[in-house]
Amino acid sequence: MIGSTDVVLDRAAAYPEIAGLRTALRRADWPACRALIDQLEPSARSGALLDCGDEKDIEGFLRGVLAADPADPAATALLGHHLIKVGWQIRTGYTAEHVSRGQFRQFHEWLRKAELLLIDGAARHPKDPAIWTARLLTARGLQLGLAETRRRLDRALAAHPDHLPAQFQFLQSACPKWSGTWELVHGFARDAAAAAPPGSPHAVLIVYAHLEHMFGDDETDVLRYLANDAIRAEIYEAAHRSVWHPEFRRGYGWLQALNAFAMIFTMLDDRRSAATTFTALGDLAAEYPWNRVGADVQAQVREARAWAYEGAS
Amino acid sequence: MGVRGSVMITQLEVDGIPALIAPTTGQMHAGLAFRVGFADEPLARRGITHLIEHLALHSFGVADYHYNGATGVEHTFFHMQGVEADIVAFLNGVCAGLRDLPMNRLEVEKEILRTEQNSRGESPAERLALWRHGARDYGMPGYPEWGLHGLTPDDLRAWVARYFNRDNAVLWIAGPGVPAGLRLDLPDGTRQVLPAPSSTLPVRPAYFTGDSNVVAWDAVVRRGAASAVFADVLRRMMFRSLRQEGGLSYNVLTDYTPRADGRAVLMAVADALPEKQDAVLGGFVDVLAAARLGMIEQAEVTTVVNQRRDEMTHADAAGGRLPGQAFNLLAGRPLQDLEEALAELGAVTRDDVAAVAAEACADGLLMTPGDNEAGWAGFTEAPSESEILVDGIVYPSIGDSAPRLTAGERGLSVTRMDSVATVLFDKCSAVLAWPDGGRIFIGHDAVQVRVEPALYPDGHAVVAALDARVRPELRVAMPPRDPERIPRPPTSDRDAGTGSVLSRAFRRIRGR
Repeated sequence: MIGSTDVVLDRAAAYPEIAGLRTALRRADWPACRALIDQLEPSARSGALLDCGDEKDIEGFLRGVLAADPADPAATALLGHHLIKVGWQIRTGYTAEHVSRGQFRQFHEWLRKAELLLIDGAARHPKDPAIWTARLLTARGLQLGLAETRRRLDRALAAHPDHLPAQFQFLQSACPKWSGTWELVHGFARDAAAAAPPGSPHAVLIVYAHLEHMFGDDETDVLRYLANDAIRAEIYEAAHRSVWHPEFRRGYGWLQALNAFAMIFTMLDDRRSAATTFTALGDLAAEYPWNRVGADVQAQVREARAWAYEGAS
Repeated sequence: MGVRGSVMITQLEVDGIPALIAPTTGQMHAGLAFRVGFADEPLARRGITHLIEHLALHSFGVADYHYNGATGVEHTFFHMQGVEADIVAFLNGVCAGLRDLPMNRLEVEKEILRTEQNSRGESPAERLALWRHGARDYGMPGYPEWGLHGLTPDDLRAWVARYFNRDNAVLWIAGPGVPAGLRLDLPDGTRQVLPAPSSTLPVRPAYFTGDSNVVAWDAVVRRGAASAVFADVLRRMMFRSLRQEGGLSYNVLTDYTPRADGRAVLMAVADALPEKQDAVLGGFVDVLAAARLGMIEQAEVTTVVNQRRDEMTHADAAGGRLPGQAFNLLAGRPLQDLEEALAELGAVTRDDVAAVAAEACADGLLMTPGDNEAGWAGFTEAPSESEILVDGIVYPSIGDSAPRLTAGERGLSVTRMDSVATVLFDKCSAVLAWPDGGRIFIGHDAVQVRVEPALYPDGHAVVAALDARVRPELRVAMPPRDPERIPRPPTSDRDAGTGSVLSRAFRRIRGR
């Protein structure tokens, strides 16, 4: 792998079930979709339903599926995610002051459509963590409040302990940009990581929390932040608990975890650690959190990887 | 299922008043009820029934707390528990009091009622009633007893003659029979029908922001055992979801109130810590969704039916079902003895309860906690302002200290930014009139338009012209205001347009 300049950002390369689900969706073959979805463990299932939400033009198809069976939980979660994605594409990812009133209005309309569907889905399937994960996104976009967002996380975790897709969403909502606090972000990340079994990818939440703190707060001096011994120690401890743990497996979250550690090791100027992490990733990478630094994710990954391998050779 | 202790209710007449008598296992009690309540009161006379109830009881003093009077939305009753002689003395005395109200007590009792009103908070049920029905009939519980200020002895006598007569009354006795010496000396009259409930909600389910620490909801549904069972099922769902599971609420309650027109009001309330308000709203929305979709367990329904069966049987043995049956008699509805009531209850299926739940959710009115909105959950914002702006003469306020006033042939409007509040003269429920010229016009739809003459050029002339357009009986003469609280136009440029008392008042134009 060393020397490769490819950067593959497609989730399906890391999670083959997504490729299968996309194919079945493009064939409009719901029984095949369900057969794939139903065999996934809950986190992989929620992750796949979230990721496949950005498939184009599936609303009509999924509405048809739900017309035949209004209670189908997978179709509900998938359509929910799709409507949310359509809304976010209209809103764009820019900060609020760069989004027009008309964009906000349409964004909220799409999110409301999603939320109405998901309200019924959650009522019918209160133990479906994928539906609660989707409702964490609507809660954030519709700004329903931190306590309501927390309630939705709690319902997801009650349905499936340590449900990482929901925890990823909550971490975003806990940031000050969505009316949370840094104390909340870090406290949540630490608690969630500590609660998960050793070797699970959950300690990536600690890395996400630090990256959000560095990029999401103009007051933060990144160099001084990373020079803090306690923070460095916490990051390495998180790596030992997750990506460096002998029990670390390529289940849901492995890509996000390795990718985030590759980025933070690069920022920590730790070439060796970055290199081993990039090696484990091969040519795979994830958009987030590289996209917190700049839009050209591929270029950044390529540069960081080259730098890491340069020292290792 | 044997119904132990079920005894038929005996119907007879006492001094021309229909009476229901049933034995009781406990102490004897009896009540005299009249078909009059808040729903009958015009807004400008709001409080008249309660005042009469107080005056009629005045002669009994405060010695014995086993008697009571109660004024409700549809009925007013006088009730006593005790030995036969005490009951006779009480009911005879109530009738004598009604025939000859102690008018010398008028001002003191008004003062007592004003104190009572100030000391108790506004209940969620009252606010829901106002937003659902407006400033008429079933919306009246949401309004202060504004009529008290101007009520005269003649007003009271006319109200008594119309409503507190033998043809508009019913008696119930839980005891061995009609006590000797009972003499219900009431004048003749006629049975008074209830007004049809008004509605101010063009679209339901609807919501309004309650700015308080509770989430509350009501719905008008079919009357009957299935609806009563649903009220209890809903409370259990709320308890589990909001208290046990989420730890979001401490108190949850639901209520089922049958109405004389064959409908019933379901109500639900849950409290919320300030920092948990949005979560309580979210949790409550989810509880309603589960109910609407029929996510109701058979076991849950069975549990509630069994509880209600026990309660009903106990209540019946103590004569506790008599008041409800007396109200049925007043409304011309069939009486239901215990056996029939238990049979109706026993026949309630899970599907019946689910059908009521769906019906209730479609009709729901939600009061959100804090300033939370509920459009995201499929509730339409209840109208809080007016669709129309009247044609007429436009009066800008002095120094933009108040909204712009338009006075026309049909009514008046105030406008600020995009908000319009309009009261039409032929759809006006009351005008609060202060001696200094301040006015609040209240429309049938509960929209309020406030006019402060000091804030408009020629303001007093405008107010005089507006006064002339409103029927005199709608006018409520309010006591003088503290001069400090009378708005004045801005005296310097600095004061102009900086958000006066009026602009604050304008923001939420419905309310008390």
